[in-house]
Amino acid sequence: MTAIAEHAPPRAQAVQPQRAMPALLLLPALTWIAVFFLLPLVLMCWRSLAADGYSFKAYWIVFSSPLYTKVMLTTLESASIATVLALLLAYPMAYTLTITRGVWRGLLLMFVFIPYWVDIIVRTFSWLILLGDHGLINGLLRKLGIVHAPLPLLYSEFAVLVGMVQILLPLTIVVLFGAMLRIDRTLISAAKIHGASGWNAFRTVFFPLSLPGVYGAALLVFVLSLGFYVTPALLGSPRQTMVAQTIMVEASELLEWGQASAAGFILLVITTLIAAIYNRYFSLDRLWGGSDA
Amino acid sequence: MNPTADRIVLGAAAAAIVAYLIFPVIVVLAISFSAGNFLEFPPPGLSLRWYRAIAGDPEWVSAFMVTLKVGSLTALLATLLGVPAAFALVRYVVPAKALLSALILCALVTPPIVTAISTYLFFVPLGLDNSIVGLACAHAVSGMPFVVINTAASLRSADRNLERAAIIHGAHPLWAIARITLPIISPGIIIGAILAFVHSAHELLIAMFVLGGVGKPVTVKIWSDVQATSDPTIAAASAILIGLAILTFVSVSTAQALARRRNG
Repeated sequence: MTAIAEHAPPRAQAVQPQRAMPALLLLPALTWIAVFFLLPLVLMCWRSLAADGYSFKAYWIVFSSPLYTKVMLTTLESASIATVLALLLAYPMAYTLTITRGVWRGLLLMFVFIPYWVDIIVRTFSWLILLGDHGLINGLLRKLGIVHAPLPLLYSEFAVLVGMVQILLPLTIVVLFGAMLRIDRTLISAAKIHGASGWNAFRTVFFPLSLPGVYGAALLVFVLSLGFYVTPALLGSPRQTMVAQTIMVEASELLEWGQASAAGFILLVITTLIAAIYNRYFSLDRLWGGSDA
Repeated sequence: MNPTADRIVLGAAAAAIVAYLIFPVIVVLAISFSAGNFLEFPPPGLSLRWYRAIAGDPEWVSAFMVTLKVGSLTALLATLLGVPAAFALVRYVVPAKALLSALILCALVTPPIVTAISTYLFFVPLGLDNSIVGLACAHAVSGMPFVVINTAASLRSADRNLERAAIIHGAHPLWAIARITLPIISPGIIIGAILAFVHSAHELLIAMFVLGGVGKPVTVKIWSDVQATSDPTIAAASAILIGLAILTFVSVSTAQALARRRNG
């Protein structure tokens, strides 16, 4: 192989313009990302080290402070629960999408996509109205005589999760639906022909085949959950504070840019690692027609 | 379980999930038409008073104008940067394609607060804070993936032989792309541009740092009002954004239907 390649100069020359052209086409996009995304991140990293001379002092403060430990744990907890709930709800919906056809599939997809394009603040704001002491849910419960005093639904972990899962669901459904469409349906038919009931065919054939898609969706949804700001700020109590809120307060109210940058950099490292795992197993270049080695 | 029972259980689950997804949207729409003075659902009566309140308030009008300007500029930048990148990724063998793809998409999974504070630290010394152009430059980074993904999808399904035919018949390759390929893939480009616009119109944290003082865009204005006031003006402003979402859905579906008819 290599011997043949070495003795083939004309082909190598023909490849020449093929190298210049894609570089030229990618140059504007990559330059833009480098200047307006990567350079600011480098600047933030530098800022986190330059708080007080050059030192890791800001990182030390972040790692040793009980506040940050608490907020980081809350963030991981809320993000994990929200991810699990989003997957549990998205799975039956995505499965329903795979077995519906035509108008029904179109209609269901519309109901999935419209909330996806509604602003996160707007969707969160709506729960503020629904879950309040005089909101629809408490009103209904009282009318039915189930409770006498309004339930404290708002400003709780429950409210934050209700809001977060509603925001994460459309994307989770779409990702799972895409993964399920790649499952070969004839395998389920084969199981049924050989005598499996519908439920058994699903349990032993379809479900195991859909698991890689579930893991992929879980990583993606978890990464997005880690950065939530609006929902815990509006629907949670101070006990539900997530790390994005703490960074916001450090930067915009306390003007502790060193610590804000350090905490931001730690969050960046965590999310980048998870995104890298995702990319390793669920290659992103499928989007452009598969990997070319 | 027998097949009908399966279907009933699944149908009920799907209906419940749809209700959970759509109900918050319906609530905000209903309250925006409220005749009452408070955020209550169901509203005591219907009126357009809160929409009139927005139209009559120069702060809200300016917020919508700022969002429109930032969003349009973002969509334009994302398209100019993203379409060539999509051509490179779909049509050429590019070294380290996985890494390049990750680089183009990573702005979407980076926590917005991290992007926001780093952008602010970068913009202040350059004097790009408090600037509509500055905010659009930052939004273009996360708007670009939408253009690249949708353009790439169109490009993969487009028949390249039409372009080759034009070149064989004497057209310059660039002219063939401009006159043959670009019109064929235009629905994908349009979808990408619309999504980049919507993405910019919804973005809160970068906007808060860059345009948080005077000349706020709509999301920042809604966010500061949500914490301070409790009349249905916010609901009406939100409803206008929901209208934008529905308009987006309709235009995206139309563009997709157009693309299907062209290829099918």
